[in-house]
Amino acid sequence: MLKIDHLTKHYGETIAVNDLDFEVQPGVVTGFLGPNGSGKSTTMRVMIGLDRPTNGRVTIDGKTYDQLKAPLREVGALLDAKALDPKRSARNHLRALALSNRIPLKRVDEVLEFVGVASVANKKVGGFSLGMSQRLGIAGALLGDPGILLFDEPVNGLDPEGIRWIRDFFRSLAKEGRTVFVSSHLMSEMAVSADQIIVIGRGKFITSGSVADLTANATGTVFVRSTDASRLAEVLRGDHGDVEAVNDNGLNVAGLTSDQIGEAAFAAGIVLHELTPQRASLEDVFMDLTADAVEYGHKNMEPTP
Amino acid sequence: MSATPTFIDTARSEWLKFRTVRASLIGVLTFALLTIGIALLVSLAIKSQWSQRSALDRLAFDPVTTSLFGSFFAQFAVGVMGARFITSEYASGSIRTTLAAVPRRVHLVMSKVIVLLVTFFILSEIVVFAAFSIGQAIYRSGALPSASLSNSTDLRAVIFAGVYLTLLTLIGFGIGLILRTTSITISVYVTLLLIVPIIVNILPSSWQDHFTKYLPSKMGESMLSPQLTQQSFSWGTSTVILTIYTIVIVGVGTFLFTRRDA
Repeated sequence: MLKIDHLTKHYGETIAVNDLDFEVQPGVVTGFLGPNGSGKSTTMRVMIGLDRPTNGRVTIDGKTYDQLKAPLREVGALLDAKALDPKRSARNHLRALALSNRIPLKRVDEVLEFVGVASVANKKVGGFSLGMSQRLGIAGALLGDPGILLFDEPVNGLDPEGIRWIRDFFRSLAKEGRTVFVSSHLMSEMAVSADQIIVIGRGKFITSGSVADLTANATGTVFVRSTDASRLAEVLRGDHGDVEAVNDNGLNVAGLTSDQIGEAAFAAGIVLHELTPQRASLEDVFMDLTADAVEYGHKNMEPTP
Repeated sequence: MSATPTFIDTARSEWLKFRTVRASLIGVLTFALLTIGIALLVSLAIKSQWSQRSALDRLAFDPVTTSLFGSFFAQFAVGVMGARFITSEYASGSIRTTLAAVPRRVHLVMSKVIVLLVTFFILSEIVVFAAFSIGQAIYRSGALPSASLSNSTDLRAVIFAGVYLTLLTLIGFGIGLILRTTSITISVYVTLLLIVPIIVNILPSSWQDHFTKYLPSKMGESMLSPQLTQQSFSWGTSTVILTIYTIVIVGVGTFLFTRRDA
């Protein structure tokens, strides 16, 4: 069980992560979602012991990462695909990792084959494209056959075929009972690849749940069209609706259901030509949730590693 | 999957990392060529000038030290290689991959130290023995006075030339661990070996007697000389003090390494 326990991380004056507290369940793909600079990478760096928490801790079955005897056999992580010595070959890079954790060397060729970089295994990784480096990074994460897998923005640099491959791959890992924790700033990506989503903004926990839960709880708007739109708008405002004129005849109404709008129009004797509930997409939910948490100033950006 | 990894496993991993980049091979070749090449040049020059030497100069001739003179050039090659063993990991970002595999940082530093210590001790000894042998062969061919490994003082001087270079490799590594950037590390290392002695040289001579003997390069001189050199500690004391320097520098580096975010 991967447990984030009241984690706080400061970089000087900047608070990158602020009292995050959640658990990541095995057997499902958990999406870790937040705008750029919201503290996702910082959280993941603390998870694998690269950065020391200011407060709180992250535990893997009760142990912090640096207490693990053979960490690669328990946690596989891909944080930065380019964090490699460019002058070393892919195979030697993986062999060094395997040796340090006493993983049989034959496993190196297995994972190289699996991610599809076996043909360039003896080439220097400096010449690899970002997509190839991502695949090599995935090979490194899988090397120790770990029960927990962490991926920071894994689809970056992958072509559409690669993205589809990686989605299916995450699902199959989860199906095997592993914990799969994937960060992204792209809501659309998480909507299709994750089962559970944890949303953070400005280093703080915002919400969590399944994709369906998150969209269900969000209040959508209703589009309503009438030749007498201006009077309808007055009536609906009187019922505490939040009305926005879209065009001459159309209104977008928030805060009222389509039933309430229909009844109010009927009572006022207004003819409606259209009454359509607009389903909130996960994208809208995300924008709503993180609207206050998006940080464009340079001060709160995640430090470049 | 298999048993718990030990210190030996991390050291094997670091050794593989050392030997699988071409920069290591180039560095080692530079080191060997400098040391042996300078032994060749110096001994040939001395041989050709021998007939013009005064009797006093001939008496002062030291066949051991002159053949090991290349060590003072090679010390830069080994220091840079020691430094790069850690700073190149920061430059590429691979330190983060390394730490994800070996999160116990003291453990990691010790593995790197062991790899450098063993590798550079063996390499340095091979190189200084080769330089010594080539120098003596040239002196003998000109019927100059020459040294022999059967003389225990001469043997000691050759062995400790290798020890000096091994310690300097680790000093380079330790400075790299503290500073993390290759260029700054090399600047500091060169300053320590070249610039500080110049500064000490312009001090009043009564102060010089106190400071000079604490300079790493001065200790190197006594370690690889058969005789006691001027203004310096004995070879034994020099070795002990230089080892203490090394332990302190690597120790400070390790302390900082365990505290910092990677």
